[in-house]
Amino acid sequence: MAEIRIKNLHKEFGVGADKVVALEDVNLEITGHSFVSIVGPSGCGKSTLLNILTGIETPTNGTVEITSDGHVAAPGYVFQAARLLPWRTVTDNLMFVQDDRSDDTKERCQRYLEMVQLGDKGDKFPGELSGGMQQRVGIARAFSIEPDVLFMDEPFSHLDAITARALRRELHHMWDETKKMVVFVTHDVGEAVELSNRILVFAKGGRLEDDIQIDLPFPRDPADDEVAVAKAHVLRKFEELDLLAS
Amino acid sequence: MTVTDTRPSAGTGSQPVPSPAHRLIGLPAKIAKSPNFARILFPIALFAVWELSLIAVEEIWPFAVDVLPTPSEVGGFMWDEFITDTLARKNLYETFFISLRRLLSGFLIAMVLGTALGLAMGLSRATNAFCHDWTMAILAMPALAWALFNSIIFGFDDRGPILTVILAGIPFVIVNVREGVRNTPRELFDMARSFKVPQSKVIRHVLVPSLMPFMFAAARYCFSIGWKGLVIAEVFGGQDGAGWTIKFWYDAHRAHGVVGYAAFFVIFAILFERLVFEPISRRAFRWRPQISTEVVEEAFGEHHEHYGEEETARH
Repeated sequence: MAEIRIKNLHKEFGVGADKVVALEDVNLEITGHSFVSIVGPSGCGKSTLLNILTGIETPTNGTVEITSDGHVAAPGYVFQAARLLPWRTVTDNLMFVQDDRSDDTKERCQRYLEMVQLGDKGDKFPGELSGGMQQRVGIARAFSIEPDVLFMDEPFSHLDAITARALRRELHHMWDETKKMVVFVTHDVGEAVELSNRILVFAKGGRLEDDIQIDLPFPRDPADDEVAVAKAHVLRKFEELDLLAS
Repeated sequence: MTVTDTRPSAGTGSQPVPSPAHRLIGLPAKIAKSPNFARILFPIALFAVWELSLIAVEEIWPFAVDVLPTPSEVGGFMWDEFITDTLARKNLYETFFISLRRLLSGFLIAMVLGTALGLAMGLSRATNAFCHDWTMAILAMPALAWALFNSIIFGFDDRGPILTVILAGIPFVIVNVREGVRNTPRELFDMARSFKVPQSKVIRHVLVPSLMPFMFAAARYCFSIGWKGLVIAEVFGGQDGAGWTIKFWYDAHRAHGVVGYAAFFVIFAILFERLVFEPISRRAFRWRPQISTEVVEEAFGEHHEHYGEEETARH
């Protein structure tokens, strides 16, 4: 089971007068089969936190541990843009991130493609697919390496509302089926409420302001009263924290 | 009454019904407008203008026929060459084999050296600063100057023409590969790093394919510029080859030989483009379904026009 432990995490950029605090004394623990959304206004440090978690940036102070049953956890990524190799077919894009080319691996890739409804599109090039399909391939790619933790950086923000909604359903389904931990960065509170069982609210200056549990049953329909109430609750928190103004 | 009922009557009301005679006139008009017809019309028009202007010139200056070749003379000459019935020392196939061997040697050396230099210049600012002016100087130098210079140094063997091909082609390879390196897709490298894909795999699946369009442009330009450079080099510093043979017919005062051989030269370049570059390009870029190869070529053309301008500006 995957675990993320963040202790006294502090991150600064620049020096002297140009110094900007991106994350301020963040303490956090995420365990097991969680779907955690990180929400907050632009410049609240949510991307910085994800970059530190994924190892692209190093913290100024504090520690980050990502483990799975005592080992270093294997991460998977879904990016804002699908980031597929345009010159490789869908199947080859999945194979690109695999350690081997065995039949088992090929079968596994095919299984995840089927999970995102693209089982028959393996021979297509990304340029032949719609934006939503490309992002699906990106999701299948992340799941296909069977990671312990999945990091997603606003994966649906470039898609139209209807496609994004369909993909959120698929993502929830895959999360539920694979029992992976997902850390999901978004600026869309509705999306966070629909998908997560835990929402971390960050404010400007990189402070973790609130840690909200959403204990509603899945699947969640945004039109449901309870989901709407939960969304309103999170938005009220935003208001209290004066985050909406920014 | 439905909408579909009213439409034909409105149509016939406003436009006269085309008579059979009209249709007959309409058909040639349709053919005349088709691109294939235009394509076929061009050589026909060319040959007609050629033949007619010769008749016209003959009226004014009867001796011109000795100097100016008619299409039939050129055609006859080309046919004789084609069946290896020639007065030249070597027949068409031997000649083109010799030239092609030189062209390919020079081309391959230019591609390898140019790619290495282009990579170094794309990756390192210092290397770029060091090599940039030299590259531009080589680019600005006319192939004629290289041909003369190399024939002075090497005399009449293969080295002069091959070096001319290298020097004429290499700047295009360097500049293209450098631009390719500068345009590598950073976000794909980051993606590969996040997924911990090994370096060798990243080079094979990300770096090399992203350089392909630039390599391809480089190869095409290197080939066509090298081909032209080679012919000039063979005129001055060769004892055989296509360039030398054009010169041979020139020295023999056979205008139809000069024109006919130049036509072979053009045909060869076109065949190579059609039979080698186009199929490879179609295969290499099949992942771009929305862009036809023609558009890709145009894009390359634009890319290069600008170097061409630079070149002419320096002349």
